[in-house]
Amino acid sequence: MMETIAWFEQTGISRWVREDFFAYFILLIFHAWGMALLVGGGMAIQLRVLGVARQTRLSRWTGLFPWMKLGALLAIVSGLGLLAGYPAKALTNWVFALKFVLLIGAAWLTANIAKVSFDKGVEPVTLVKLQAALALLMWIGAIACGKLLLYTNSMLLTTDVIFEAG
Amino acid sequence: MAYPQDNLLDPVAIVNFAIDTGIFDFAYSAWGWPIAEIVHFVGLCLLIGTVGVVDLRILGFMRGISLPALHKVVPFGVLGFVLNVASGTVFVASSPDQYLYNPAFQIKMVLIALAGVNMMLFYLTTAGKLKRMRPLAQAPRRARIFAGISLTSWILVIAFGRVITAFRPPAWFWCGWCG
Repeated sequence: MMETIAWFEQTGISRWVREDFFAYFILLIFHAWGMALLVGGGMAIQLRVLGVARQTRLSRWTGLFPWMKLGALLAIVSGLGLLAGYPAKALTNWVFALKFVLLIGAAWLTANIAKVSFDKGVEPVTLVKLQAALALLMWIGAIACGKLLLYTNSMLLTTDVIFEAG
Repeated sequence: MAYPQDNLLDPVAIVNFAIDTGIFDFAYSAWGWPIAEIVHFVGLCLLIGTVGVVDLRILGFMRGISLPALHKVVPFGVLGFVLNVASGTVFVASSPDQYLYNPAFQIKMVLIALAGVNMMLFYLTTAGKLKRMRPLAQAPRRARIFAGISLTSWILVIAFGRVITAFRPPAWFWCGWCG
């Protein structure tokens, strides 16, 4: 795998993300916007399921899903760009994998909560609320993992390894 | 590079404050800075997930959600903002020269002030009318303008926050108030 990553690091797109002054920061901005929409929307739905603003009809909160999907799209596209710049940094770090476990888990729980309890016309049962609380923690955990990627990486580029070995 | 004389804000006094209060030691402890960053981003998501969603609803999206009832999420936006101010204070107090003279940080602060003034004017002039409107109705034009300014400011606050590290002193140095 490291050979493939080493090759990819020398491609034009990878070098552009690393070396262009604007590229990396524009990707970071879109990644933050995407996160705000996806995780912010997710947190809002979880709060509603837990009983905040309970006068709003639960079934109508599916109106947030397109915004969360837009956020996911922005985050994924910009995230792939960031990954292209420093593939070894992310792909050799288990925190990166954990981030996606948490994101997929939170999204799956949210979809499941909506499917099971949004159309019932009554407040969700305790089990569903526990799922919402778990999803809320998973969104927060995913943010934590994303930030920790800056501090837990063992290398920035594959050339770091070659340098250390030499 | 020697910094110009700053007679308004005193970075040394701010750092001393950070040292005296323990903020400095926390910020530069093993996990202090990352923890503050995580709190900052969780706060950001809470703010956009609540105030941003209310703004979108006022603008006319998700009309099925009752606006007066939805307003109950706003305290969580305030909580998010408090988390942001607390974690932001850790950054600025521990490394004031990197922020005070940073163009991106200055623009971000102006935008936050704009969002704050906009919110104050909204609650003083328009929010009361929204509470009395039919739950699923379209919000009046003036409310939509307030919501548009609010959402735009917060979106730009995120963007300028994200590029603070790109405009760090001494490579960049803004001090309009320096002598």
